[in-house]
Amino acid sequence: MLKLLKEIFRTGEATVKYPFAPMPVCKDFRGKPEHKAEDCIACAACTVACPANAIGMETDTAAGSRTWSIDYGRCVFCGRCEESCPTSAIRLSDDFELAVGSKADLTRKAVFTLADCACCGKPFAPAKEVDYVARLLSQSARSAEEADRLRLTASTCPACKRAQDVHHIADMGIARQMTQELETTP
Amino acid sequence: MNVPLDPKTLVAEMSPVSTSEHIAAMKKALLKNIQRSAYVYRVDCGGCNGCEIEIFSSITPVFDAERFGIKVVASPRHADILLFTGAVTRAMRMPGLRAYEAAPDPKIVVSYGACGCTGGIFHDLYCVWGGTDNIVPVDVYIPGCPPTPAATIHGFAVALGLLEQKLKAETHVEAAGETAALPHPDIPYALRVRLEREARRMAGYRQGRDIAEEFMALLEGRAHTPGSFTLLECMMEAIAEERDPRRAEIIGHLAEVVQQAIRGEAPRGETP
Repeated sequence: MLKLLKEIFRTGEATVKYPFAPMPVCKDFRGKPEHKAEDCIACAACTVACPANAIGMETDTAAGSRTWSIDYGRCVFCGRCEESCPTSAIRLSDDFELAVGSKADLTRKAVFTLADCACCGKPFAPAKEVDYVARLLSQSARSAEEADRLRLTASTCPACKRAQDVHHIADMGIARQMTQELETTP
Repeated sequence: MNVPLDPKTLVAEMSPVSTSEHIAAMKKALLKNIQRSAYVYRVDCGGCNGCEIEIFSSITPVFDAERFGIKVVASPRHADILLFTGAVTRAMRMPGLRAYEAAPDPKIVVSYGACGCTGGIFHDLYCVWGGTDNIVPVDVYIPGCPPTPAATIHGFAVALGLLEQKLKAETHVEAAGETAALPHPDIPYALRVRLEREARRMAGYRQGRDIAEEFMALLEGRAHTPGSFTLLECMMEAIAEERDPRRAEIIGHLAEVVQQAIRGEAPRGETP
């Protein structure tokens, strides 16, 4: 009996103090994905990566907005969003206390504005993404003119780019034909 | 069983069980005056058993949910709290409803795990109902895949009204002129990509990104401080300061990448 009591005192208390004291979590614990909307460029990489479709994007061209949303109720805490985020805007925090009484409290949303195409004037991509890409491209540009050109390319919608390419190729074709004819005519 | 069937989608429209006002008032009174243990009955509606393992680890001596009187019982007739896990498969709808009806009123229904809350990763499968709230009214949702024992205890505390919920629905609206900052504008983009890729290759996406961030902060810090340090010297210093040999190895490798970039060599496996 004495031996047993001694053993009990030696072992001490195994039970954790939670919820009366904060619960320590291990390093790199995968808790609630924390989204910093200020750093987000609404590129939708996390939307594609999310295996449970917890993260979604909805584009409303009439209102010129794109809404990012996450449903913590559907999240499986895999960290693929964090892996794919180019600006480190989303990161899994060590917060695990997610229980809620109403399902609406499990969602987070962020509304971003869409930028208009420099050519046709229709909204085509989030303004923050266009701005980010333009700055990134002009950072690695060799000259000021190249930077301007790259910035214009970044703020043109794919349809306009394609149309311009077609025009450009057609012009090139005509020019080539003319030079060939000039060369062949005596 | 006659159920109304939508002829277009061939999906049965089964309305979830609703509770009367009388029962809601009873439930409020129960939560207010509860002076006894809360007995939990666990309803597995097609889960993967990850949630069950966490439920049982939350009643082990380490987390000891029984110190709050939370006890897992074997019959829904003894239960105050019904704990639904799993995405509610087609076959488990009736057994789930039977367990719900068998529990005496007032009862608290807790939806446990990502599958229980919304259907989780199975939300769009043909053979699931996608969440407990599609069949029975739910009082508390505990998300997680699976929720940790600590999250389980927090969820029970929220269900019993002992703790307030921490999450609130939020909507961020982009402010005028809001821009995302370019990371490390002093380091060339190509070099930054090479460093991050190499660090991630060696240490995985999370630690790799952390190490790459630390390394690039070190590079920038050295660039701004006056002094006659060569790059190699400061890298050797950083490696010597590092306690963890694995991190020292990675930092050494990143330093090599920087040296390569300065010499104008292409990264391994690529032609210049």
